[in-house]
Amino acid sequence: MGATLRALRAVALLLGFYALNLVLLAVLAALDAAALRWAPSALAGKIVIVSVLLAVPVIRGMFMLRAPKGEDVAGLEVTEADEPRLWALVRELADAAGTRAPDRIILTGEVNAAVAEQPRLLGLLPGPRRLYLGIPLMTGLSEAQLRAVLAHEYGHFTGGDTRLAAVVVRGRTRIERIIEQFRTRAERKVAEERARQEKAAAKAVAKGKKAKEIDTTGAGLTYRTMARIYTLYGTFYLRASLTTARDQEYAADLAAARIAGRDATASALREIPALATAHAFYLDCYAMLGVRARLLPPRGELFGGFGRMLSARALELVELRAQLPDEPASPYDSHPPIAERVRRIEALPADGRAEEGKGVALDLLTAPERTLAALEDAVLTEEARTFRRAADWDELLNVSMAESLASLDTPLHRALAVYTKDRPTLSGLLAVIDDGQLWRLAQRLPLSDEAAAATGRAFREFVRPMLREALRSMVLAEFSAHSLVTWEFSWERAATAHLPGSLAGDGENDGGTKAGAVLAAAVEAALADRPDTGPLRALLPPAPAA
Amino acid sequence: MTVLLWILGILAVPTVLFALWMARVFVKEYRKELKRASQSPGTEDASEVAEQFGLLPPERQNTDWAAPLPAGWAAALNAARGGDWRPAAKVLHTIGRDWERRSAAVSLFAEQAAEEDAWLLEWETEHPDDPDAAVVRARSTVFLAWKIRGSKRAQYTTREQFEGFHRTLVRSREEIARAAALNPDDPTPYIAEIWVALGLGYPHSEMDKLWAEITARAPYHYEAHFSALQYWCAKWRGSEQLATGFAERAAAGAPLGSLLTALPLIAHYEHDESEDSAVDRTPEMVARVDAALADAAAADPAHPRLPELRHLLAYYLSLQDRDEAALEQFKLVDGYVNALPWRYRNDMAEYYCTIRDSSAAAVAAAAEPAA
Repeated sequence: MGATLRALRAVALLLGFYALNLVLLAVLAALDAAALRWAPSALAGKIVIVSVLLAVPVIRGMFMLRAPKGEDVAGLEVTEADEPRLWALVRELADAAGTRAPDRIILTGEVNAAVAEQPRLLGLLPGPRRLYLGIPLMTGLSEAQLRAVLAHEYGHFTGGDTRLAAVVVRGRTRIERIIEQFRTRAERKVAEERARQEKAAAKAVAKGKKAKEIDTTGAGLTYRTMARIYTLYGTFYLRASLTTARDQEYAADLAAARIAGRDATASALREIPALATAHAFYLDCYAMLGVRARLLPPRGELFGGFGRMLSARALELVELRAQLPDEPASPYDSHPPIAERVRRIEALPADGRAEEGKGVALDLLTAPERTLAALEDAVLTEEARTFRRAADWDELLNVSMAESLASLDTPLHRALAVYTKDRPTLSGLLAVIDDGQLWRLAQRLPLSDEAAAATGRAFREFVRPMLREALRSMVLAEFSAHSLVTWEFSWERAATAHLPGSLAGDGENDGGTKAGAVLAAAVEAALADRPDTGPLRALLPPAPAA
Repeated sequence: MTVLLWILGILAVPTVLFALWMARVFVKEYRKELKRASQSPGTEDASEVAEQFGLLPPERQNTDWAAPLPAGWAAALNAARGGDWRPAAKVLHTIGRDWERRSAAVSLFAEQAAEEDAWLLEWETEHPDDPDAAVVRARSTVFLAWKIRGSKRAQYTTREQFEGFHRTLVRSREEIARAAALNPDDPTPYIAEIWVALGLGYPHSEMDKLWAEITARAPYHYEAHFSALQYWCAKWRGSEQLATGFAERAAAGAPLGSLLTALPLIAHYEHDESEDSAVDRTPEMVARVDAALADAAAADPAHPRLPELRHLLAYYLSLQDRDEAALEQFKLVDGYVNALPWRYRNDMAEYYCTIRDSSAAAVAAAAEPAA
């Protein structure tokens, strides 16, 4: 099949996506008509009711196909007056690529850059263009690399292939988005159901009853059934148009290399997966650390901290860059494996442009700090905006750790609550250990099949890692409740706990590790085949007089 | 047109799959039926013949050991199971410096201690520096690690199992070093370390050093050679060539009666992936079996590993159609089947009886015309 034929088939299948709804509805209607005409009236009534029930998700699905149109990425729109240098760069690149410059530029909080068109008629006709530009991406890329990314995005609109190919690619993004939406909605339903059941279970436990197993298999059934039909068709479409889409990616890469230089393009391709991983880590371990304590980093630091973490962990980034994914993210991903793309770009002849645009792309902004602060307001949810701002990162860390330790809920806590029918506390756990009941308690932990089947020493060896982890955090929580732990913030390393002086030894630098070793040994003794809680009890802060 | 074909094709897929599945079910049932029809009378005959020779049916075969335990060992094991360490300690004390027996008894008690070690902890508390307790401790931790790993192949072993395996093996090295320090002449701790080497993947250079420690203490130790051969097998850390080379060298260099002639047979068995027994009847294999027969005849009848060699001999004699000789070996070991080659099968007793019965039937058939 030639490229044009393939594209034609894809367009037909794209239309079929809509036809699918109509066909489903028509089948149901025909069934009703037949039933009313020939079947006895009692049966006919039942058939009509069932078919109406079936039609509901179909109609819902039709509306959902429309829904992504109004999609709005949270972001900060910047005008030409705000950011003249950024706009100039964007225009220059559009010119070089031979395509229309975007009408709006929107800064976002993601590791992503995208030129989106609001296409009309399923993407058959072009519409207004927007450039979405992620600030974390600009934080991690050099100016030249950013140029390469933008040139690649424009390349999708010029591709150099048939007009139809562009349509196919637009159709793909659309369908990907629809499937994504179905998935998130179904997941949300399941999450809602889980939350509801967990609440009920928590209540049951509070009243001393046995909690029911949480089961969300029934949640969002209609959604998931519909989602499955559309996903099946969608993936079928995606597969049918895969070659077209991948060819487009390679063409866009070539365009980027021509416009922004070979080396900048290759290094940008290497950098983006590394940045995405680093950013996910940053959100988890830094920026969103205090969410449960309703605490956010100081103003401007939510996006600003990422840059500092990147420079502090430069060595880890080198490692991340070295391991390029050499498989596509999914069989339907329009992007060929990054390793293959990098290989193709690096095979191009050198163009002597390695030294261009070395500065950080973020410096293209007129006043980066002000923009980062303004972006926070634009992307944070209503609720997050009401969170308190920490004075500095140290406060954020200490408050968050104290909060998470205070509300600590490990599998061991739950097992202990089930086993003793009492509030799970450290002293309760130590009493269970002293009574020689630890391994019976351990049988209440969530266990793998292998661990559950094991007996004696093998069983104890299976559960020890989980117990060790949980007991250690319970002890830390105990210290934390007495305000005896301080946490040391670091951009390079995981936070370290500093325990009170009696534990810490004398050296200031190795204090943390020494205390850690003493604690580890005490935990080990409490979990030994012949448990001894003595060392651990000796460490603990004196209990308040009960 | 292409679109239509695509859609029709997709609709046809489930139908075709269903038809294929039905066809498979039919073929399977049919073959089962055929097998049932052809097999049943023959096997019954053979097992009857075996019974006439005084051999036991599968359900009466012991699948825990390769042979009856020496006097006192079973009682000591039972005592340990019940929490009393003293009989086990006494067995080890009596054995003294007979390393072959010592390592066998240590394995026996250590296997129990890998299940539950309260009795061992008590022993250790009462005699903190007892080299016997220390070596049982070390060996038991190695057994424990292998229990955690499970016996499935790597791809069916979970990450949790591997992590526990690794953690426990690493810990066992300290205990092995301690046991070795408490009884410097004893090769047993080093034999336990071979199984650490297997699990942690010691480089060959490390393994060679470990081997030197062992041969300096006991040059012809059966269990040591058996364990090291496992290390050199292709499925662990070596290759068929390395394993065969090791086995041949050991067998050639050992005095008659040391039972190391079993090694070339085991090396052959471990790497044999053929479907028929042609590779087991080569002149080379016949010569290996002959050497092992001579070795077994010259060995101390009380050698704790002699029954294991007899099991192997019975198997290969049977495959080589030397049924008379095979039956002789079978009669000497009948009743206990936890030995190579049966041990690798889940149905070891049935497998043992199938091979044994075929030899018994052949011997009976040969005797018939004369009678």
